[in-house]
Amino acid sequence: MVSEAPRGRATGVDAFTREIIRNKLVAIAGEMGIVLARTSMSPIVYEVLDFACGITDVEARVIAQDNGLCLFTGTFKPQVESVLNRHPLSSMRPGDVYMTNGPYGGGTHTADVALVMPIFAENRVIAFGISVTHWTEIGGKVLGSLSPDSTEIFQEGLQFPQLRLYREGERNDELIALIRENVRLPAMSIGDLSAGVAAVRIAEERLHGIVARYGLDATLETFAAILAHGEAIARAALGRVPVGVYDAEETIDGDGISDDPIPVRVRVTVTPEKLIADFTGTAPQTRGPINCARGALMSACKTVFKAITAPEAPSNEGLFAPLEVIAPEGTVFTAVRPAPTGWYFEASAFATELMWKALAPILPDRLSAGSYVSLCAYYIGGVRPDGDYWVQATPQDGGWGAGDDIDGESGLIATTDGDTYNYPAEVIEHAFPLAMERNALNVAAGGGEGRRRGGFGTIREFRMLNPGGGFLLASLGRSETSPWGVAGGKPGTVNYFEVINGDGETIRGGRVTNLPLAEGDVVRVVTGNGGGWGDPRERERELVRADLADGYVSAETAREIYGFDNDERPS
Amino acid sequence: MSQGMRPRVAVDIGGTFTDVVAFDEAGGAVWAAKASTTPANFADGVIDAIHAAGIDPRTVAAFVHGTTVVINAITQRRGVKTALVTTAGFRDVLEIGRGNRPDMYNLKFHKPVPFVPRRLRFEVRERVGADGAVWAPLQIADLEEVAAACEREGVEAIAICFLHGYAHPEHEAAASAFLRERLPGVRVTASSEIAREWREFERSSTAVLNAYVQPILDGYLADLERRLREEGMAAPLFAMLSNGGTATFAAARQTPIALVESGPVAGVTGAALVGQAIADPNIIALDIGGTTAKCSLIENGEIKITTDYRLEASPRSPGYPVKSPVVDIVEIGAGGGSIAWFDAGGALRVGPLSAGADPGPACYGRGGAEPTVTDALLIAGVLDPDYFLGGRLRVDVGLARRAYESIASRLGVSIEDAAAGVIRVANEQTIDALKLISVRRGYDPRDFTLVAFGGGGPTHAGALLDELGVRRIVVPPFPGTFSAWGMLLTEPRVDRIRTRVLPLETTSEAEIERLFAESETEAREALLAQGFAAGGLSAPRRGLDMRYRGQEHTVAVPIDGALDRAALTALFHERHRQRYTFALEDTPVEIVNFRVTATAPIARPPLGTSGQKALGDPRKGGRLVRFPDAGNGAGFTERKTPIFDRERLAAGLVVDGPAIVEEPSTTTVVHPGQRLTVDDLGNLMITAMRAH
Repeated sequence: MVSEAPRGRATGVDAFTREIIRNKLVAIAGEMGIVLARTSMSPIVYEVLDFACGITDVEARVIAQDNGLCLFTGTFKPQVESVLNRHPLSSMRPGDVYMTNGPYGGGTHTADVALVMPIFAENRVIAFGISVTHWTEIGGKVLGSLSPDSTEIFQEGLQFPQLRLYREGERNDELIALIRENVRLPAMSIGDLSAGVAAVRIAEERLHGIVARYGLDATLETFAAILAHGEAIARAALGRVPVGVYDAEETIDGDGISDDPIPVRVRVTVTPEKLIADFTGTAPQTRGPINCARGALMSACKTVFKAITAPEAPSNEGLFAPLEVIAPEGTVFTAVRPAPTGWYFEASAFATELMWKALAPILPDRLSAGSYVSLCAYYIGGVRPDGDYWVQATPQDGGWGAGDDIDGESGLIATTDGDTYNYPAEVIEHAFPLAMERNALNVAAGGGEGRRRGGFGTIREFRMLNPGGGFLLASLGRSETSPWGVAGGKPGTVNYFEVINGDGETIRGGRVTNLPLAEGDVVRVVTGNGGGWGDPRERERELVRADLADGYVSAETAREIYGFDNDERPS
Repeated sequence: MSQGMRPRVAVDIGGTFTDVVAFDEAGGAVWAAKASTTPANFADGVIDAIHAAGIDPRTVAAFVHGTTVVINAITQRRGVKTALVTTAGFRDVLEIGRGNRPDMYNLKFHKPVPFVPRRLRFEVRERVGADGAVWAPLQIADLEEVAAACEREGVEAIAICFLHGYAHPEHEAAASAFLRERLPGVRVTASSEIAREWREFERSSTAVLNAYVQPILDGYLADLERRLREEGMAAPLFAMLSNGGTATFAAARQTPIALVESGPVAGVTGAALVGQAIADPNIIALDIGGTTAKCSLIENGEIKITTDYRLEASPRSPGYPVKSPVVDIVEIGAGGGSIAWFDAGGALRVGPLSAGADPGPACYGRGGAEPTVTDALLIAGVLDPDYFLGGRLRVDVGLARRAYESIASRLGVSIEDAAAGVIRVANEQTIDALKLISVRRGYDPRDFTLVAFGGGGPTHAGALLDELGVRRIVVPPFPGTFSAWGMLLTEPRVDRIRTRVLPLETTSEAEIERLFAESETEAREALLAQGFAAGGLSAPRRGLDMRYRGQEHTVAVPIDGALDRAALTALFHERHRQRYTFALEDTPVEIVNFRVTATAPIARPPLGTSGQKALGDPRKGGRLVRFPDAGNGAGFTERKTPIFDRERLAAGLVVDGPAIVEEPSTTTVVHPGQRLTVDDLGNLMITAMRAH
């Protein structure tokens, strides 16, 4: 009898074999990621790495995970559980693949489609392969499926309630026909589906290889050892976090329907055994689609927990054993049907932000001052003269907060994402009728001054070249409330977009749906600068001098905020 | 060296030794020697090594050189003060990079610091579209201000990268002509001179690194040339490039970044030539050294080239992109010096931390106390303490055992079992890396021969045979100086990779032919400019990087015959299926890059050392060695194992394992159940005895 409890000690398999199998499991997750990223048809997958894959044990606990984004840190367990709730283990057969994209079932938003494949050995399920892929199109109210002004999930495209896509290796082609008929870019969507299937099949094949070589017992014992090992690392690291109660409050700037501020809060309690994040007191779910459901809340909390305990360790469920999350149902972090969640990463980002803000003062070696936070995602698209839809969908990198020992990083993708690449102008201009006219650091906005200063956001400008124009759809959070400084550091600056038309008129905003663009209009997206750390007047003079030479600060800022004497300026 | 010889000479500078290998084109003799590397002035070590090999510099027919000068200047930040000139609106691209955070859960992540600070990044007005059309002409007046600022700041090198410069190099060319004229003595690099591929950040980074090291490589090669000429060497001088080819010193000095992996890639070139000699065009090259294991796959005799190389990249850092062709090598931290340790959660790990050469493994007695893979090999009896580096280095098994005491007691096993376990973990990590370049890219290892070299390759290869499932293992002659040996045989080579995004369906075959021909002309001219005769060049090889419309990543497709569109499409579907398990037959196909490779063939030595016959008894003794049992390898058995002297192995010799073959630079291990055959060329061939 094999013990599968996380704390169970594996005894039958030697330490060396365990290490070898562990390496191979991590390699499988990596290989799934390679296959998925390189075969996907959607730019958002292959460039933005909006996907995740991995292996769970039969009880849905993550054994190995490869995620391109932090947003998927905590969703596998509830997603696999949602499949198990509808399809008992006894009903599953080798070759089955299940499909789910429900946000309330542990997922994120409808565009993220999870595929779950039971992996069999000796006639029973021993594990699940799982892949999550962001489809550029899944139907719904607008092209790209994620409308910033949706008010219910039904406007956000197809929902796949744990459907059986494959039965014993046989694809359900009626389901494929249904998808083709209901999405705007069927070739892309089916391509993404194929990539996701290829990923879970690789997991099955490779895991079978391990079982064949080392035996089922050694494999399952290694699963247990991985979970126990993760938990041991997390507990050891938690022991170094000062015990106490830490509160933080934040404001989400509007939900896409209304500009009303949305107050959110957390109380983090650290004990020797646990870290409890309690979000009680957070605003109720909103009409607009910036809500997240519990799966994405778990990702948000696990991201910070991992960052302060074991940032470099390969992910597994054991690493999160000491984390407890408390949140009542129906808040902006725990939305329930039929709340829209298309732009769920906006709320999820603020759950991360709250824990970060609460803990930064006591963990300066791991956490910096406030950053631009919002993923600042936007879609520019239209219809070509030949009738084809096109859409350039992208998040934008921005300014991160200063640390106690180092200036903040500039032009870095938000916490919700990860190894996410921005789009080169040269690639955009090949693919879309757009000209990128500027890609620059947001130095002119100032802000974030401190003994260590915040990093700079970015400015990207696109001129619409499509005859007949197109549209802009954007959901830029943090457009009113600035990133926070620490210990006397100044706040950073906000995110916003501007549309400049032929008459030189400018429209400025944060969240917008289907704003029409004429040919020749310029869209400018500006991301904020991060918060500073420490009193700016304590900044070393040679650093201020260097910042002046590099144009990072203006002479006025140097004088007024840093107290820099004009006579000290370099010749 | 005897009278009348005209040797071709290759010199590879390593961290500790400078290796020389020579080949007499007339008589066919091949020999090698070593001298200490002289970091203060590498040329001294080069000249010492030539003398150590008994070579009269005046008789040398050709000289090939691999150098780490470029990569060292970059990693040690010893390049020159460099400026960057960009299209207006884009000077911050170098600092923004791609904005990615590979170290995802590090919430204080920082990117690598750009090589050009913001104050030295200048913008000029000009603009070109994706199709190469000029949207706005170059404003020369803007360059005057740039030149003045560079002068004021004492800039020594300038890189230029304009948007879509790969499609329309004329603006970059005009700007560089202006700056060269205006700032004599300042080296100028235009991005399109080095890379004709899209993606402005990657191309800027490449141009900047080229500019940053150009004066350094320039000075180094000029000095070496002067020293060699003083020694009386009149031969043409070649530098080893990262693309697996060579270029004359003069050509190399123009594009120093093309030498970034000069050296390591020569081992792969050598492995490809071994494949040619044994009539097996499918090779996996495995080079295990002190700190890392490097591997690379050669398909159909073709070395794989990538332009996605990233300097100083790791799972924690995106590194600096270099869009110059580099042999596709996967490197992992599993070498002889790799340290075994327990992590915070109590799991046993091996590497990537390494004891390196200093202090080195515990057995060296230089103060290293951590248990390393080399220590484990000594404990297991695989290595002979009295014949380490041919007896040049005294090692102490007692110190090795002491280093393993803590692992053994913590796991409750014997020191022998602890050491054997660590060897297993290191071997499996190497297997995972070898699978990454083979199985995971759609290749079946059963179609491949593993060529093992470096100090550790021949020692570990035997343990990988079963699990990897390769046909056989080959340990070539000179495994310890294999990079120099590979260099000796490397051809002058020019790669031209050019981005032209074209829908295959609507692009005429004549247009494709025209674009290939254009690149071919450029490549041939680059070789002619190096002094090769037009008649001596081989027909250029062609390839296309293709993808389905909507995809980002491409698949490289070698093009052999006619440019028939249906055939190209079919080839691409097939390649895509091989790599990714599926093809999208209904989706339109796009060409992204045109690839052309031109070479100037050279005479190559036969493999093998001269006079490999009747050298007396090759057996020099025997010892007890612990070998893993068959199956998953968790058990071990100590076996009495005969030891052979490689220098006395005659062609045709067949030995059944277990057996060990020693030579000064490495130890080859033949496991029980494996058979060693010495072929006519002096290669050690290892195969599994059971029928496949």
